[in-house]
Amino acid sequence: MDTPTVRPENGSFSGEPSLVLQPTNTLNTLTQRLADFETLTDALDYAASGTTGYNFYDARGALKHVLTYSDLRQSALTTARRLLGLGLTRGEHVAIIADTTPEFIILFFACRYAGLVPFAMPIPVNLGSHDIYVRQLRGMLSISNASMAIANKDFISFLEEATRDLECVRWTGTPGQLAQLPESEQELQKNQPDAVAYLQFTSGSTRAPQGVIITEKAVMSNLQGIVRHGLEIYPNDRCASWLPFYHDMGLIGLVLSPLVSQLSVDFLRTRDFAVRPIQWLRIISRNHCTIAFCPPFGLELCALRVRSADLEDLDLSSWRAAGIGAEMIRPDTLKNFASKFAAVGFNPAAFLPCYGLAEASLAVTFSKVGTGLDIMKVDTETLADRSVAVRVQADGRKHTEFVNCGKPLPGHFVSVVDDNGKPLPDMRVGRVLLKGPSIMSGYINDPETTQRVMRSDSWMDSGDLGYVSEGNLYLTGRHKDIIIINGRNIRAQDIEEIAEQQPEVRTRETSAFAVVDSNGVSTVVLVIECRLSSVQERQSLMSRLQRLVYAAFGVHCLVELVPPHTLPRTSSGKLSRAAACKGFMQRTGFSSLQSAKPEVRH
Amino acid sequence: MTDNYENTLQRICKHLERIADPGAIIRADTNLVDEFALDSVKILDLIMEIEDEFDISIPLNLMADVQLVSDLARMIERIESEK
Repeated sequence: MDTPTVRPENGSFSGEPSLVLQPTNTLNTLTQRLADFETLTDALDYAASGTTGYNFYDARGALKHVLTYSDLRQSALTTARRLLGLGLTRGEHVAIIADTTPEFIILFFACRYAGLVPFAMPIPVNLGSHDIYVRQLRGMLSISNASMAIANKDFISFLEEATRDLECVRWTGTPGQLAQLPESEQELQKNQPDAVAYLQFTSGSTRAPQGVIITEKAVMSNLQGIVRHGLEIYPNDRCASWLPFYHDMGLIGLVLSPLVSQLSVDFLRTRDFAVRPIQWLRIISRNHCTIAFCPPFGLELCALRVRSADLEDLDLSSWRAAGIGAEMIRPDTLKNFASKFAAVGFNPAAFLPCYGLAEASLAVTFSKVGTGLDIMKVDTETLADRSVAVRVQADGRKHTEFVNCGKPLPGHFVSVVDDNGKPLPDMRVGRVLLKGPSIMSGYINDPETTQRVMRSDSWMDSGDLGYVSEGNLYLTGRHKDIIIINGRNIRAQDIEEIAEQQPEVRTRETSAFAVVDSNGVSTVVLVIECRLSSVQERQSLMSRLQRLVYAAFGVHCLVELVPPHTLPRTSSGKLSRAAACKGFMQRTGFSSLQSAKPEVRH
Repeated sequence: MTDNYENTLQRICKHLERIADPGAIIRADTNLVDEFALDSVKILDLIMEIEDEFDISIPLNLMADVQLVSDLARMIERIESEK
């Protein structure tokens, strides 16, 4: 693909263009427009007349590629004509394995210019995950009925394996192969605001992945809320991101938000951040970035893995919006980060807690930018016994801290209801429902789940639990069937499914859940009713399950084998994960074991 | 197997010994996921140390096929030979 890798240095006074790669400017030549566009391609058409764009850095912090919005538009238009040349019709789905590269963004916009619906697929992250990864890709391709699948040369072999014998996929290849195809003479048509813009997969499940359908109108209304009200963007903002392009926060938050406000962004691969988090901070420091989002897990990695010696030449004082979301926010994580990086100019008022989910395009609530963390201390006992948040008045009472995630974006509404759907007053914990123009149209080819989540009265069930106080949302947890570890959402049923695939395990005799110790560290537990008596066979099952769960989700789990009829069932015969969790804690004395400190490495 | 492979293997084992539980036995056929139980942060440490020691960059697509210590050694050999 025609990605420029070398650009002449701006303002070179020798008269000869220098071959040193220079990042795009922060200040644009264009008048800033904040997401007042009808469609994503309209937004790119405007941004393309300026001088800003995307910059890609390697693991050692060297600038590798520069993709200005102008170059992006040019390459995307050319590629769009090649896509049409393949005979694809508007609205068909195109799967792209989303490595952090210029090619991915070019393909994404090429799809939109051609009226096709792109979706990002993940890259494999776990040791030994080959087979599970291929199955995961296959699940997404088949439920979305994708017509085309693209991966760069690092990942094409996985993709070819996944599309083998998959009838819907008519073309599988690399961006390089696509560039060999002829361009269609057909004229590109304008997209309508109610057309589907993209799909966003929310779960790594192998059997039932969920593809959220988002229209142009929905994503633009969300982007407008984010850049105007959430971030209050102004012309000398600059973004930095290591978030994967296949996550909503990475793609919508840090690829599309900057584009619809014509800002420059500096990208680092997720893996390169995870191995050397300092590189992300160095980019922020060197390029005076003002906006960078990070799930709590990423902040933890920074606090854990950045050495004191690395701090010397760092200056984080330009960072005004440190967006925090994507998982439950534990105040301690943020405090640790702030205390480690205060010496190099990090301002804790930059912390910007927010709440969102792919089903709402991205963002739902934002706290007020520039005010930092606002924590409410509530009585732990009352919360557990009566699901009421009561502020702790006196010291000494056992309390739990929750972070204020702010108010809904304009036009959006949050309601907290009980299990019967009845609205609850302030401070009462219940299910968080959402309403507004950014909400999805549903899950692709999954009417059952869509119906369960999208209620008839236009409220959508977020799957989260929380309470509201003075219009601000506080999240307290997830429904029991979602386990969040290291920033990743894992569905309990996906873990149980792995167990049920073993010949020794019967269906509906497994239960997966997470236990959280007093340090807030979650561990996945898998309880299985087991008829094996041989020690060897039992050991074999346990270690096989640990290996399979690790390969699928990258987490270690505790496996407990129990006699048949141990797992608690509801009156209708359904397994109760909450009751199974309680039983596990009683049997193992987990609550008394948890004072063991989690391993902390420096 | 070549001397170079043996040498690579030894160097990897040295890194693994440092992050392993005391007393753990590390051989070429030790399964990193199964027997070694590396958590995600330890894997990142391991990747960083190996990258620094061998002066290579390990692409993610190759990690998906690594299960045994010997897989890791062969992968490093391959990356080094393509340098």
